[in-house]
Amino acid sequence: MAENKAVYRKPKKKVSVFSVVNYIVFIVIGLIILIPIWKVLVDSLNKYGVYQFRLWPRDFTLDGYRTIIETSKLYRPFINSVITTVVGTLLGLVLATLGGYVLIQFDMPGRNIFAYFLLFTMIFSGGMIPEYLVMKQLGLVNSMWVLVVKHGINVYNLVLMRNFFEGVPGSLYEAAKIDGCSPMGIFFKIVLPLSKAALASIGLMFAVTVWNDYSTVQIYITDTDQVNFQYKLRVMIMDGDTPTTAYDVSQTTLYNAGIIAAILPFMVLYPFLQKYFVTGVNIGAVKE
Amino acid sequence: MSKKKVITSTGVEVRHKPLGLRIWNNRGYYLMFLPVFVFVLIVYYWPMLGIRYSLYDYKPVGDKVFVGLKHFQNMFQTAAFWNSFKNTLILSVTKLIITTFTSVIVSVFLNEMGNLFAKKTLQTIIYLPHFMSWAVVASIFTLLLSPSATGMVNGWLKSANIIQQGEEIYFLASPKWWRTIFYLINIWKETGWGTIIFLATLSGINPELYEAADIDGATRMQKIRYVTMPALANTIITVLILNLARVMNMFESVFVLYNSAVYEVSDVISTYIYRQTFTSAMPNYGYSTAVGLFKSLVGCVLVLVCNYASKKTRGRGIV
Repeated sequence: MAENKAVYRKPKKKVSVFSVVNYIVFIVIGLIILIPIWKVLVDSLNKYGVYQFRLWPRDFTLDGYRTIIETSKLYRPFINSVITTVVGTLLGLVLATLGGYVLIQFDMPGRNIFAYFLLFTMIFSGGMIPEYLVMKQLGLVNSMWVLVVKHGINVYNLVLMRNFFEGVPGSLYEAAKIDGCSPMGIFFKIVLPLSKAALASIGLMFAVTVWNDYSTVQIYITDTDQVNFQYKLRVMIMDGDTPTTAYDVSQTTLYNAGIIAAILPFMVLYPFLQKYFVTGVNIGAVKE
Repeated sequence: MSKKKVITSTGVEVRHKPLGLRIWNNRGYYLMFLPVFVFVLIVYYWPMLGIRYSLYDYKPVGDKVFVGLKHFQNMFQTAAFWNSFKNTLILSVTKLIITTFTSVIVSVFLNEMGNLFAKKTLQTIIYLPHFMSWAVVASIFTLLLSPSATGMVNGWLKSANIIQQGEEIYFLASPKWWRTIFYLINIWKETGWGTIIFLATLSGINPELYEAADIDGATRMQKIRYVTMPALANTIITVLILNLARVMNMFESVFVLYNSAVYEVSDVISTYIYRQTFTSAMPNYGYSTAVGLFKSLVGCVLVLVCNYASKKTRGRGIV
């Protein structure tokens, strides 16, 4: 991984052409990633929509953000997004932890059946329409809770949790057992405290998935009170469904402010939590 | 209490507790599994029962009528279905190959970067787009590529006199441009994230290999060619296999970027199912279930094939 120190350095040498070219190429790559994001940020603070790329807004305004905060058609979806993300992440973590822990109880009769019961869902699925019809019967169509139910159970993350638990040294369990700790006590007092890092990264994966989900809303929800922010943003920009506002704000400003609002939570957290974002991948993919 | 005697393969005699007792001893764990069981049953298994609708005429109003394999016959005779199937394969496989390629290149050269601070900063930047939703990414690029007066790309092209006023390119609404733009956006979004797994492999290469190459007088490019790339080969195959199993799942990335002007080059199976069901005036759930079943079956075969390939190449499966 990136954090690994085993980087081989050449014994002292002058700056080579290769290094210079390498740095230039990577500066260009960095700019290609950043320019679209920076343009959105600047335009969200600019009073008039322009095509030029500017480093700073020329006609500064916060009206785009004020519109989002004060228009119920825009802040309602944002609140819905926050609620579903928080609840969905908590439910997801609870289920992944419970399931992952049960799957390492090698003494438990039926453990293998449970494992196959879960793994089969990764191979075959009922498909979009049968899923829709089930959610309809459950009364979850046109309700934001469909996001929580659909993302709350994630077999892939459950298996990641299982892999992590498997790595906890068995001697710890033995020691706890000898000290008279009950199986539940071992889970809550030994295993969970040891799993903070895994919980953080898998929790982040759940949060990103729920917050970023657009297609579930597109399929299941038509009630404008129940949609999430991603959906609202997309409808606003693609279908021009702009709510009326008290501010004299240009469409482009509002659109760009919406995009920034949609990515803000994770962009703020990202620099601090990058480690956890990345370890999630490593527990899954690199573990051999 | 009667205990069954079992001789293990090593010849040690162990006493297995009776099954009933073992179940009783683990009762807490069964209780822990119960919520997982219920959710999996509802979210994954219950919909599987709905597959039977593929044999019925099932409309929002009226009764279900058994029609046998009619929907499957219909499906295989529909040009739009074949078009979506073809697009699914073309778009996902091309996307997979291109983004894997760019990820490999970027990680190889990122690995050559001596300055750790520069390397880490760049990693932070290139991972960034992965955390943006497809709805956000589509919004960003819709605005950038817009043919209106505020679209940056068309604005630049005009100010560079490459196109004239009135000749704006409708990048996302032109069948000629759509796929290219789709691939470029995928590269922008996923290349950085894809490097993680390759960088992990690269950091595991034994430095002595590079030292030996130095002694042999290898140039930097030669070292990349003969030391770095062979070390990556297995990881590349792994990544390709893992992702090949998922090629049928393409939905959101296409849905947020396509429109009626480019169905011909962009419509994939999931978007086809979606439109047949949710935007048609009189949807037939039976037909869309049949198309969905076809998609699930192809996906299932792909997963099993990739699982087999994965076991062959790296000794463990993917499921």
